[in-house]
Amino acid sequence: MPETTRRALGGPGVVLVVVYGVLALAATGRSVLQITTGFDAAPLAYTLSAVAAAVYILATWCLARGGRWVRVGIVACAVELVGVLVVGTLSFLEGDLFPDKTVWSHLGQGYGFVPLVLPVLGLLWFRRVEREAVAAESAARPDDGPADATPSGKDSSSTVSD
Amino acid sequence: MIEPVAYAVVALATGLFVLAVVYAVRDKLIDDVLLVIAAFVELGLVIMLVAGLFGLGQIEDATERLTFAAYLVSLPVIPIGTVLLAIKEKSRWAMGSLAVGAFAVAVMAARCLQIWMSYA
Repeated sequence: MPETTRRALGGPGVVLVVVYGVLALAATGRSVLQITTGFDAAPLAYTLSAVAAAVYILATWCLARGGRWVRVGIVACAVELVGVLVVGTLSFLEGDLFPDKTVWSHLGQGYGFVPLVLPVLGLLWFRRVEREAVAAESAARPDDGPADATPSGKDSSSTVSD
Repeated sequence: MIEPVAYAVVALATGLFVLAVVYAVRDKLIDDVLLVIAAFVELGLVIMLVAGLFGLGQIEDATERLTFAAYLVSLPVIPIGTVLLAIKEKSRWAMGSLAVGAFAVAVMAARCLQIWMSYA
């Protein structure tokens, strides 16, 4: 059965993809630098930097592609939110664990707390895209929906083919 | 060479940011004025990239040198990506993406300038 398209790169999604893209660039740059110049100095912090960079790249891709990647994007944003909350809290309470900073240290303070806010916005946006797609799928099945829910009445913006 | 170009890039990117916000508020789409400013920002970033890579040896600290190089290589990607998105998107959010990209360029170019001036 063909999947209804989940178009994530439109409206606020365009701004999100730029913010995610810039953060992915910054996190990747920091991670490559940290790992190549002295991984042994702070292996946990530098591994987390690499993980954060990978998650930002994945989330950017999911926002840009939409479709089946929306569900992957939801997981990526959830991982990102857990990461920034856990690492951020630990960096305040157990600073010795992180001799050097990661993107998520101190709840993303070094990046203007953008890493803390971004996964929340990403999750809200992906949820909206998912809900619109589910509603469009329901409307496209006349036997499941109300009598007047014919395909001609569906929202064309969320049912463009992938 | 890098210093005046970097100052110009920071000024132009800041101007692009302000204009993009104004356009977003007025619900206007991208036009020739914004495209020309973005093109000059891109030109400045390419000049910075070439001149910066040739002058990398002047930055004595290895970490700062790598940070500087990473910024130089990353920066030219941002205006191209955001302008393409702004052309594709036909709503005021397009100007939002352009504003975010311009702001990021201004901040990153300023950081480049800061590193360069510490050593040059």
